Amino acid sequence: MLHPDGGLLHGTLDVLVLKAASWGPRHGYAIAEWVRTISDGELLVEEGPLYTALHRLERKGWLVAEWGYSENNRRAKYYQLTPAGRRQLRTEVSAWERYTRALTKALAATSALPA
Amino acid sequence: MRRVFRIFGRAALAREVEDELAFHLDMRTAKLIAEGLTPEAARREAERHFGDLATVRQSCVTLDIERERAMRRADLLDELRQDLVYAARMLRRNPGFAAVVVLTLALGIGANTAIFTLVDAVVLRTLPVERAGELVGIGNPTRTSSLSQGSPRADIISYPLYRDLRDHNQLVTGLLASGRTPSLDVTLEREAAAPEHPRGRFVSGNYFGVLGVRPAIGRLFDGSEDRAIGAAPVVVISYAWWTRRFRRDAAVVGRTISINGAGFSIIGVAAPGFDGEIVGRLNDVWIPVTMQAVVQPHQPMLADRTICWLLLLGRLRPGVTIEEARAGFSTLIRQSVVDNTPGGAATAEATAQQLNYFVDSGARGFSAVRGAYRTPLLTLMAGVGLLLLIICGNVANLLLARAVARSREMSVRMAIGAGRSRLVRQLLTESLVLALLGAGAGLAVAWWGSRLLLSLAADGGSVLPIDTRLDLPVLAFTAGLSVLAVGLFGLMPALRASRVDLASTMRAHARSVGGFGARGQRAPLGRLLIAGQVALSVVLLVGAALLVRSLRGIQTADPGLDRDHLLIVEVAAVGRGYAGERLYALARELNGRFTRLPGVVASSYSENGIFSGTESNNSFQVAGFTPRTAGDSSANSDQVGPGYLHAIGARLLQGRDFTEADNGHSASVAIVNQTMARFYFPNTSPIGQMLRYSDTTAAAIVGVVADTRDHELTGEPVRRFYTPYEQLDFGGVGSLRFEVRAAGDPSALIRAVAKEIKAVDAQLPITGLEPLSALMRQSIREERLVTRLAAGFGVLALLLAAIGLYGVMTYAITRRTGEIGLRVALGAQRGDVIGMILRDALRLVALGVAAGVPLALAASQLLQGQLHGVSSADPLAIATALGVLGLSAAIAALLPALRASRVAPLVALRQE
Repeated sequence: MLHPDGGLLHGTLDVLVLKAASWGPRHGYAIAEWVRTISDGELLVEEGPLYTALHRLERKGWLVAEWGYSENNRRAKYYQLTPAGRRQLRTEVSAWERYTRALTKALAATSALPA
Repeated sequence: MRRVFRIFGRAALAREVEDELAFHLDMRTAKLIAEGLTPEAARREAERHFGDLATVRQSCVTLDIERERAMRRADLLDELRQDLVYAARMLRRNPGFAAVVVLTLALGIGANTAIFTLVDAVVLRTLPVERAGELVGIGNPTRTSSLSQGSPRADIISYPLYRDLRDHNQLVTGLLASGRTPSLDVTLEREAAAPEHPRGRFVSGNYFGVLGVRPAIGRLFDGSEDRAIGAAPVVVISYAWWTRRFRRDAAVVGRTISINGAGFSIIGVAAPGFDGEIVGRLNDVWIPVTMQAVVQPHQPMLADRTICWLLLLGRLRPGVTIEEARAGFSTLIRQSVVDNTPGGAATAEATAQQLNYFVDSGARGFSAVRGAYRTPLLTLMAGVGLLLLIICGNVANLLLARAVARSREMSVRMAIGAGRSRLVRQLLTESLVLALLGAGAGLAVAWWGSRLLLSLAADGGSVLPIDTRLDLPVLAFTAGLSVLAVGLFGLMPALRASRVDLASTMRAHARSVGGFGARGQRAPLGRLLIAGQVALSVVLLVGAALLVRSLRGIQTADPGLDRDHLLIVEVAAVGRGYAGERLYALARELNGRFTRLPGVVASSYSENGIFSGTESNNSFQVAGFTPRTAGDSSANSDQVGPGYLHAIGARLLQGRDFTEADNGHSASVAIVNQTMARFYFPNTSPIGQMLRYSDTTAAAIVGVVADTRDHELTGEPVRRFYTPYEQLDFGGVGSLRFEVRAAGDPSALIRAVAKEIKAVDAQLPITGLEPLSALMRQSIREERLVTRLAAGFGVLALLLAAIGLYGVMTYAITRRTGEIGLRVALGAQRGDVIGMILRDALRLVALGVAAGVPLALAASQLLQGQLHGVSSADPLAIATALGVLGLSAAIAALLPALRASRVAPLVALRQE
């Protein structure tokens, strides 16, 4: 999931954003904080691309946004998963699981030849 | 939810992104401050965390704009779907209304499409060959079966000139030639059947190569046919003829057929769909041009530079423009004519100077039909366009009336938040559905209509072989027309209907007085529409009346000969080998037999005849006359038998008719017509004057005849002279036609005449046997077609305008029932009520006429070229049109007026 230089693998940011938005309406800052917290700051080098991802996913119809008011009473844009977004998240999660399972198995192999 | 973000415009979206990113930075800064940084350091750190702010901002805005666009598209589609469903429901609810609108639109759109189909087929469509746009045509494209003898020309091309052009140009990759054949007598080897007469064309060996036509079976000409004269006895036949005559028997390749007595073998069949390069003429047999003298041994044409009969098509080299081709070929033609004209450089230059050069795009092929029908078709297109406008007016009025009935529905929809533009869009969708249904039905009307038009155009003769399938341009035209119609009839009612005054409509309906809310709104618009329809009807009616008057004039004008009693007979004597004394003897023998037939008053014969389609033109010098232009030294001419003028019923003004004594052994004589006499001899008697044909030959004028209509019923009379059939000043005659004058109906003589011909030579083909009146009628069939259709359109327009007026008046009276009742209650008589309504209606008609007459006068200017002997502002035509219109309007208004006059005051008042 990590690039050698510490950045995200291409496409993985979208999955993270979808995941973050799957628990109900969240604004961009909250999503950034969530990503930072769950990964101890490892995953998100810069926060800007997160916003590009949010708008891209909205364009694709996987997120829907609405202006609301934050805890400190400021106007903020809240994102939420659409049904299509939820389906997409499920697809991507299972794809990741298959991928990592295969990779793990490969890396754990003890012989160069099939058993 | 979606509506929250319905903010159109880049600036608004950019502001949103700005706000969102600012919120993030502020939150991050606040957090860093809480962790102990100074505000400045915290801000810097937050921005560093964020990364490239400008780039992120830019891509967010771009994504948002894309999203907005996609959503708008989706919304529009969604609304369109809703509108269509709603429209379908509305139309199902009012099937009568829908049927009336769809049928009238079908009529209008169908009629337009039918005419356009013909315009497309005759005027617009390109040849069905490879890259037709590269073709360049040389020669007058309407002269597809002309033959001219005696001087070099550039509007039809001689074979030697064709070879010069083909071999000495750098403009085209290939240059083909194509020319008329005589009537072909074709028999198949091993079949002892009567000869058939397929349509043939002489073409150069590179014909199929230049056009890029491939064989269906066998092979086509490959250019080798042109190498030697008379050495390629082969033909290619068309797919259509192969199908019709040989039922697609592949064994036809290699079969030998006899054409006018010479053997040819069929080498192949051209690809299906290719019928030649002439629009309106399907070719059956292509014969190498080098075989001309084999088919016509008595009239060899290939070596003579003054026998002009070919049209040429070339394929432009890449990069050569049509202008360059025009300049280049004109120079080549000129040079070739100058180099080959005897009589000195000055004469040659003068001859080249007089030529009519025709070099133009050949993409649409050649067509005599196009020349004849272009203007008539465009006239009809204009007429039928006007008709569609009137139909749109009627439909608009119907929609307006319905808009009033639906004003409550509109108010409700507005009250629950539908925007005006949304309502307009929905109403327009309804109109569009109506128009498309109309167009669909219209295509059926068009399919049938274009065939009807062709058979009308044929006027009893053979139907023009024009392809009237509804192809892509036609369908696009129809679709465009429907959309245009929606704009015309749907937009105004939609705008009007959506402009409802909410409060008053609701209130009015609360009092349950139907339609009251829109009072005073609908009337002026609907009434203006009626006035407009009347105006357009005036235009169509005046045009139709002018054309009818013109045609009447043509048909009743004195042709200077006995129109109703002449039978014109043509025999293919020259083609069958009669020439010289044998031909003269045949002519005298047959003429004598015809003269002795019971019911025949007189008979004579001639080369060109009357309304036969062929005409000669010969040049001469007249002592004491100085020609100003080259055309001044020539006139149309005919070689005629003894007693010709008497036989055709022409009036001899001076001198004498030809007699048996005017023959090859006597001195050359000539008879001139009145126009010719006035032109050359304005102050002296022409009798005894000489027409000098050459240095050695001249004819003395022995008679002057009143002008006759020889070949055309329209146009100014032209100079014409006659010489004896047997005098050889112009090198003998090419055909034989008889003019037999009957005491009664000439068609009664047909059988007897045919029997006499068979008695003299059973093998002599009769190529024409028709009363002159029929030939004359065919010569004006374009005029007859246009006039009949224009009159039809006029009547339709009148009917539609009358129906519209009737509808509007009926509607007005319904609204004024109360007022009328009150007037009656106060003592108004029936006559007063009728008068009041009629005045109201006539005001509308007067308004329409006032607008229509100047329009009609302007429009009839455009008709000028098609009017013969009638001024485009002919008072009688205009008066007739207005009279018919006024009468119809009066009837249309009288019916509702009578109904209004029977209104019982109490009933009316109670209704209010």
